[in-house]
Parts: sequence; C-alpha cells; structure tokens
Amino acid sequence: MGRVQKISADARSLYISIGNVSMSLRFFEERLLRSAQARYRDFSGSPCDGIRVTLNDPAGFSAASPRFEYRLRGSHLRFSKRRAEFRNVPHEYALDSLIRILLTVALLPKDGFLLHAASIVRNGKAYVFVGRSGAGKSTVASLSPVGTVLTDEISLLRRTERGWRAYGTPFWGEFRAGGHNASYPVAGIYSLAQAAENRLEASQPKDLLRAMLPCVLFFSSDTGANRALLDVLTSFSQTVAGFRLHFKKEASFWEVVAR
Amino acid sequence: MTVSQVNSSSIFRRNPKLAWREIDGEVVIISPDDSILHELNETASAVWHRIDGESGLGDIAKSLAEDYGAPIETVRADVEELAADLSAKNLLLAREGEA
Repeated sequence: MGRVQKISADARSLYISIGNVSMSLRFFEERLLRSAQARYRDFSGSPCDGIRVTLNDPAGFSAASPRFEYRLRGSHLRFSKRRAEFRNVPHEYALDSLIRILLTVALLPKDGFLLHAASIVRNGKAYVFVGRSGAGKSTVASLSPVGTVLTDEISLLRRTERGWRAYGTPFWGEFRAGGHNASYPVAGIYSLAQAAENRLEASQPKDLLRAMLPCVLFFSSDTGANRALLDVLTSFSQTVAGFRLHFKKEASFWEVVAR
Repeated sequence: MTVSQVNSSSIFRRNPKLAWREIDGEVVIISPDDSILHELNETASAVWHRIDGESGLGDIAKSLAEDYGAPIETVRADVEELAADLSAKNLLLAREGEA
C-alpha cells in the first residue's frame, strides 16, 4: 500500500515511485485518494525529493508559468521543474493518464521513455514486445508464465550505467494482473506481427526506430524535447537487439525468442 | 513550393523546429507539430546535410555530382524535385525572397 501522510487539515499525500521516478501526490478528495491508494499499492514510494503533484487544489493553479502544459479531456496538467499541478481530475483513470503524461516529461532527462509495449521477464532479463493496440501485447502476456509479466500495455525503459532496463508500471491493458514493481536488463525488443508460424527477423536500428516511434508516449511539441527524445530513441535502437516477431497465438512463440 | 517554382538558384534552410538525427547513414526527422516521422534515403540524406541556408541548389547538385560521379543534369533535377517535396512538407524553408 502506498504510504500516506496527513499533511494538513485538508490534504493528504500518497508517495509513489514508478521507474525510480518519485512523486508525492497531494489529494484534497478522499475518494480519489482511496482509489489511487488501491491502484498504486505496489508502487509505494517514500517521502523524498521527488515531484510534488497537487490534485484538484481548491486554491487553483499557482501563478508560476509552467515549463510543460497539457490538456486531456477537460483535465489540465501543468509542470514546472519538480512541481506538477493537476486540475479537473474526475476519477482514477484520468489521474492515471495524467501521471503517464507527467512521466514522459520527467523521464526524458533521465534517458527514459514510455512505450506501448509488454515487458516479460525470462531468465532474469526483460523481453519487450512492442505494438499498437491489437498487435498482440496482451496475447503475448497471457501466453507467458504467471508472475513474469512486468506490464502488458506500457513499458518504462531507461538507460542506466549498466545498459537499458525495463521497469514494471501500474499501467495495464487487458491482462490486468496487477503491477510488478521491478526492473530487469533488456534482452531485446520485438515488434509484433501475428502470423501463421513463429519466425524471428532481425531489425536494423532504423527499422526498429520506425517500429517504435508510433508506439512512444510523448506529448510535447517543444523542439528541444523532441530532439532529446530522438536522441534517447536512437541510442536505444542502436544499443538494444531489435527483431520483427511473426508469431501465432500460442506459447510456442517463446521457442524463437528465448529458449 | 512546387517543382516548377524551384531552380538552381533556389536557396533553402532546414526548418529549425525539426528534430533530426542520422542513423545507419540515413536521416530521420520528427516534426514536433504533428509527430510524423520522415525518413530520407542515403542520397536524400546527402542533400539534407548540404542544405545550409546559403548554398543554391545548383551548387549542391554540383557537389553531389562530383562526389557520386553522376551526370550533373540528372542530379540537379533530382535535387530540385527533392527540395520541392521537402518544402511542401515544411521540412525545408525557402530563404526569404526566394521564389
């Protein structure tokens, strides 16, 4: 369960950490706090110098002009350095979307990004299966052993001193098996294509970049941010082994991925 | 800008809003406004690298023809067609005062 601390008569904070990005979520509404506690229970953080996020503050936005701003179906996100403000957050699903958007901004300086991909652990390494909706991410997850799925929907990838790692996220698709808060070195990335037989085809870095880009979660139209993103993705595609995985909907696909 | 509006003296610069990198010897470009990925092949990438906001397309074509050992007329036509295409996609901007 995420750690909760009462900080004033009107608000309480929930501390979470996703991909080693720490956040303190400051709630003014008990209902939203409770649903967030349940949703992020496996991603508990500790009070620290993370991003301070205020939700639905009755006092409204601060006067400071934000470094990044985004509107999503009536909800409004503003982010400046280590402080974020969410407004008009009606429920946990909107909160989840805003946290994803915030993460894409916060991860970039840390050489990280979010990708529509399933990440599955095998032999101590993460196998990342990338694809748009309907490509088979949840299918791949459902055909993998229980407890090995970091996420079936949105993978968090970060470059560390020892190479690229995949982190579990609380962002799930159809599989909905609950978050797996851990990280593993990336063994490879596989662009999904459903087929009549299992077959693996090596991808050149440019082909991998082409496959990944439509699946990257990114919301900034800032030129500098886009350049930084392209740098991170280029580094990833040149470092990590990439493949096109033609697979049929059977667990036998693992035979061509990892024996 | 259409091909008919482009000639050897036309001068272009890269759109400064773009994010682009070279990977495997080929240029990939993201236009932040629409998040579209554009890919240039090897020869188009060679043109892209020579676009500097000062050189005319004729000079760029001449440089390429020398490097690749190709007929200058053929290269010039290809460069002008490419510049028109990239300009239409807002990846290249004609220098002020250019047709």
